[in-house]
Amino acid sequence: MDKIQVEGLKKSFGTNQVLKGIDMQVKEGEVVCVIGPSGSGKSTFLRCINRLEDITGGTVIVDGQDLQNPKTDINKVRENIGMVFQHFNLFPHFSVLKNIMFAPIELGKQKEEEARASALRLLEQVGLSDKASAFPSQLSGGQKQRVAIARALAMNPDIMLFDEPTSALDPEMVGEVLSVMNDLAGKGMTMMIVTHEMGFAREVADRVIFMDGGYIVEEGTPEQVFGNPTHERTISFLEKVL
Amino acid sequence: MKTLRMIVISMSMLLLCIAGIPFGSPSVSAESGKTYQIGTDVTFAPFEFQDAQNHFVGIDMDLLAAIAKDQNFKYEIKSLGFNAAVQALETHQVDGVIAGMSITDERKQKFDFSDPYFDSGVIMAVRKDRTDIQNYADLKGKKVAVKTGTEGYRFAESIAAKNGFTIVPFDESAQMYEDVKTGNSVACFDDYPVLAYGVNQNNGLKTVTEKEKGASYGFAVDKGQNAELLQKFNAGLTHLRESGEYQKILDKYIGSNAVTAQTQTRGELLLESLPSLLKGLGKTLLYTIVSLIVAFILGLIFGFMKVGQNKWLRGAATVFVDLFRGIPLLVLAFFIYFGIPQAFGFTMPLFLAAVLTLSLNAGAYMTEIIRGGIQSIDMGQMEAARSLGLPYRKAMMKIIIPQAIRIMVPSFINQLVITLKDTSILSAIGLVELTQSGKIIIARTLASFDIWLEVAIIYLIIITVLTKISNRLERKVRRG
Repeated sequence: MDKIQVEGLKKSFGTNQVLKGIDMQVKEGEVVCVIGPSGSGKSTFLRCINRLEDITGGTVIVDGQDLQNPKTDINKVRENIGMVFQHFNLFPHFSVLKNIMFAPIELGKQKEEEARASALRLLEQVGLSDKASAFPSQLSGGQKQRVAIARALAMNPDIMLFDEPTSALDPEMVGEVLSVMNDLAGKGMTMMIVTHEMGFAREVADRVIFMDGGYIVEEGTPEQVFGNPTHERTISFLEKVL
Repeated sequence: MKTLRMIVISMSMLLLCIAGIPFGSPSVSAESGKTYQIGTDVTFAPFEFQDAQNHFVGIDMDLLAAIAKDQNFKYEIKSLGFNAAVQALETHQVDGVIAGMSITDERKQKFDFSDPYFDSGVIMAVRKDRTDIQNYADLKGKKVAVKTGTEGYRFAESIAAKNGFTIVPFDESAQMYEDVKTGNSVACFDDYPVLAYGVNQNNGLKTVTEKEKGASYGFAVDKGQNAELLQKFNAGLTHLRESGEYQKILDKYIGSNAVTAQTQTRGELLLESLPSLLKGLGKTLLYTIVSLIVAFILGLIFGFMKVGQNKWLRGAATVFVDLFRGIPLLVLAFFIYFGIPQAFGFTMPLFLAAVLTLSLNAGAYMTEIIRGGIQSIDMGQMEAARSLGLPYRKAMMKIIIPQAIRIMVPSFINQLVITLKDTSILSAIGLVELTQSGKIIIARTLASFDIWLEVAIIYLIIITVLTKISNRLERKVRRG
């Protein structure tokens, strides 16, 4: 079954229509990378998947639950969708460990001891075991983003959304974050990644979506989109970034 | 949950305090009948004022004590301020009022008066060493100091045009005397007993005219009520007049052999005033703290309404802020203490009026502090919390507020200092806080410079100390 089903998705901010009708599905365990020029609506699209943006038209169904249905408990749905932001958005008043443990404890998913053990496990997984008691302000950008990934994973979600996770990083730190994401993909996580890292997209994606002007212009396997793009806007975009 | 607990605690504190203040402390003695509740002014020397030991003394107080002894009844003095005492009488919260109250036809509609116990009248005074002003005609082209709302003011107004002088109005007797002493005004008009007392207190003036025929003072009960008390008062007054004790009481305060102010050094005066002023300071702090707690709760409620999604709530919060930020504190105090009770026919306890005034005013500012603090937190914080599945309230309470508090703390400290100073404005409705305590002492001693200096220094010290403590707290909060 499809984990994410999007049909006829439209989104406007005031009179400015950003998404003009998007149809797309993501299967369980699939890794989808979304690429495209800035202003094409990639991030807005991603933010509609967990309803950080209320949509203007169409439907978004995640795990069989229609996000626009008033009966849907959006908080429950979100527990199952991890999200990683461009600017990390770590909680600056919490230690690294508490950033990760906070939501599972607060939402009654885990007891304190259990949450601590799994937080430490996640820190190990992202290679930051020694930073458990540090505060976000003491970390580098790459470290912050890895903590943010661990924080999202602490809720044990089925789906992970990444909104330009490496765009705010210094070049030498991009690799460590991508490597964590690569591991995650290898473990079968369903992922949607908005990214400008074409090399990474080519390597890790099962499917690449190229967006422009509020539409999906072209989609296919990395080989198809990067190796043999058919649409002229895709071609001109790839010429500029590759 | 912490906030909820704080609301409950502060609300019960507020209720406790309100319950403790109002008029009826039920001290009726069962044996010898009723204990009458008698309302009076806070300070109207020489009729009622507090001596250095905070005892109520003055002609009214001594007279009432002597009559009660003669007629064998018990009473309790409620020092409410003149207007509040009259209101309390109308609403039966006191049985009688003795407050140097003139017997007028208008008041007779509402109250029953005793036989007149004092004949007042306006008199003119000039600086002690002055010889050029002997009568009203000498005032031509000069300035004359008067106290607003007094018979002296009305009289001066009525003869100003004829005698060609200008009127300079003041709120306090002490200010009026100072103006005459410094020579800005050449003379002042006031009720004869008030001026006579001032002269006895070495206020530096002397009276130069005979007193004009004026109103008589009477003891008042509500119309048709407490006839027995009125009877006893009249009977006692007659006895005292016959025995000569009445004259003795008068002489004690305004006779030529009256007890004049003891010659105190300035140091002694300042030291003697200190206990009263510190008591006033305690009230100032109490009102500041209670009001700020209420204001904080108001600020939380309206602050959240302002950052929330609902446009009606947002609108309501905006109206709240605009309203209470836009009304001067003094006007708000008058409106709450005098205006609302008059419109709805009840008596507002002073404590409630004071706390309402301060907390509504500070609440408007708190709302803006809290709104600003919350909105200064990056939107990404809320989004990150919500994307983890946290409901709005939890995200607000655990993620946004703890960060916003750090930004708000300096503004809170600022508001603390402002509200503490603003309590002084409430002295205008008779709240005996630090400033009013100063006024009361000056009403007795007429030592404006020394007492105001002392009051100012106390404010400075307490605000400096509070600011230091707050800054320490702020550093702690910032460190997390």
